[in-house]
Amino acid sequence: MKKKVISMILCMAMTGAMLAGCGSNNGDSGNTAATQVPEATEAARETEAAKETEAIAEDTDNAGESYTVFLITMDQMDQYWKNIDNGCLEAVAELGNIDYKWSAPDVKDDAKQIECINNAVAGGADAILLAANGPDAVTVALEEATAAGVKIIYVDSAANYPGEATFTTDNKAAGKTAGETMLEELESKGITSGNIGIVNVNAATASCVAREEGFREAFEGTDFEIMETQYGEGDAAKSKDIASAYITQGVVGIFGANEGSSVGAGNAIQESGDDIVGVGFDTSDTISELIKGGYILATMAQNPDIMGKEGIFTAEKVLKGEALTEIDVDTGVSVLMAGDF
Amino acid sequence: MEVSKKGIKKILAIRGMGQVLTVTVGLIMLCIVFGILNPAFFSGRNIGNLLRQIAPILLIGIGQSYVLITGNIDLSIGSVVGMSCMISATLMTKGVNPWAAVLITLIASLVVGFINGHLVATCQLPPFIATLGTMTIARGIAQIVNGNYNTDSIGEGAKRFRDFFYYGKTLGVYNTILIAIVIWLIFNFLLSKTRTGRHIYAIGSNVEAAKLSGVSIVGTTVKVYLVSAFCSFLVGIITCATAGMGTMDAGNSYEMYAVAASVIGGVSTLGGQGILLGTVIGASIWGVLQNGLQFAGAPVAIRNIVIGIIVVVSVLLDVVVRTGKFKKKSK
Repeated sequence: MKKKVISMILCMAMTGAMLAGCGSNNGDSGNTAATQVPEATEAARETEAAKETEAIAEDTDNAGESYTVFLITMDQMDQYWKNIDNGCLEAVAELGNIDYKWSAPDVKDDAKQIECINNAVAGGADAILLAANGPDAVTVALEEATAAGVKIIYVDSAANYPGEATFTTDNKAAGKTAGETMLEELESKGITSGNIGIVNVNAATASCVAREEGFREAFEGTDFEIMETQYGEGDAAKSKDIASAYITQGVVGIFGANEGSSVGAGNAIQESGDDIVGVGFDTSDTISELIKGGYILATMAQNPDIMGKEGIFTAEKVLKGEALTEIDVDTGVSVLMAGDF
Repeated sequence: MEVSKKGIKKILAIRGMGQVLTVTVGLIMLCIVFGILNPAFFSGRNIGNLLRQIAPILLIGIGQSYVLITGNIDLSIGSVVGMSCMISATLMTKGVNPWAAVLITLIASLVVGFINGHLVATCQLPPFIATLGTMTIARGIAQIVNGNYNTDSIGEGAKRFRDFFYYGKTLGVYNTILIAIVIWLIFNFLLSKTRTGRHIYAIGSNVEAAKLSGVSIVGTTVKVYLVSAFCSFLVGIITCATAGMGTMDAGNSYEMYAVAASVIGGVSTLGGQGILLGTVIGASIWGVLQNGLQFAGAPVAIRNIVIGIIVVVSVLLDVVVRTGKFKKKSK
């Protein structure tokens, strides 16, 4: 009982600190909150009603209905994440009542992404647009965020935890499209059998694993044999070594499952001078060069800007309490070939 | 006959040659096994690729071996590789002449080595901590130079640069391989035939004794870290040439590959022991496993397990061989 009272007081203090609204302080108190389980969360729920009324009071003091929305991606390295951010910024400019921040770990890492989520919650997020690093690792952090009243919307890749809405590329379907693109090209060249190599990122990135699944599916029932998948960690140099080894073993096609993998595959095909069909995933300056040079046939371009834009619009709707018409949206891929650049 | 016998004896008398011979046998066995599993392993094309994969590991292995022999460690290798890759690529995408970009990158990398050396020798920081710090800083620089993004393609203008460091051949051998051989010859000579080389071993064997004999601890330590930074710089440039772009996490965990290559080849992490010939074999075993297991169609998880086992076993084997010898002698 005593404990409960103490944690209650702590929570009140924390709520106060949050409303005072200084970024770094919030981060600290957020971490304490995370360790104060489970009494603290219980107490937090009890005080939630009070908090919300206070928050609304604060909002009206400031500038009408304004919401804080965080975008949390897997890292900030790829142009891809920047494109989601661009989509978000576009929507934010259009709406005008969103206080928007983009945060991400420096490298793809579950623990670091959990920290980002905790910090966003502590930083007063009303909604989080999340590109989940792995399906299960971040679920506990998301439970805590939801308990604190934060709405979760997935962009790019979802976790195994119910969110308000999901805007992703159906990676399996996209992988299948990649496979079909390669198959079509091979058949048009009169090739009906042979080995095909896959350069993937690692076995833990769900989106890339799904692409591979779809890709393999496209070749079911044909005489082509898909070889053991190799992982290059998305590093273009490592992926190039892998692709070169595939070529030495005699492949007719190579699939790169993300940007780095595709660049590696393209460089290896260019160097070998062999007639090998390369199909990539994602877009970048280097990939488009390789496609223009004829070393990669096509790449699957996702629509990250749409994910970001729709994500922000949806966050605003959810926070206003409006009903959503669609909650699981495939933002699709476009097959880009030499003529598209 | 006399002469050749003497020659063999002389070779065997070199300190550390024992383990080198043991792991060389291991390397040959590995190659035979992979060759049987998939004859394409021995195709001319694969051998070219394989040697080109070994080259960067050998280069960072040389750097790490120098540092390890003085009884220190350099954890910043992987990050300096990333930094070198990103700085050179960023400059090239901004239109800087590739060779000027290489020169600027060289200077930046050597600064890291210089700082490492002074943190360890002048400021007396534990090498693990000092280079852990510079490791993070160098990775941060790699991320910041192009505003936290991988660079665009370095383009057609850099074709000669890319050929020089990776895609081109001289006398039928890939340039990357030749670069590694030249660097190895230079640094092997420095380590085994010069006074600086003897100082490096002296520091690793006994710092106090070396100091009392008039060896400049600071000077020598800074030199080995400069060597390490130089080797990392080269690998970064090669990585950039390979990919045709700069990736921020290039060289991730290469410092550990370098430790593995050195240690498999008989360089002691306690200092004072090891020869660069061992590092060649260590790097080759590493490369052969990476390449050979792909040819054998083994899943990556299996590859990691096998590599880990080989690192431990090769060092264990050396310990057993040596203690066995000691016992015989004492009896």
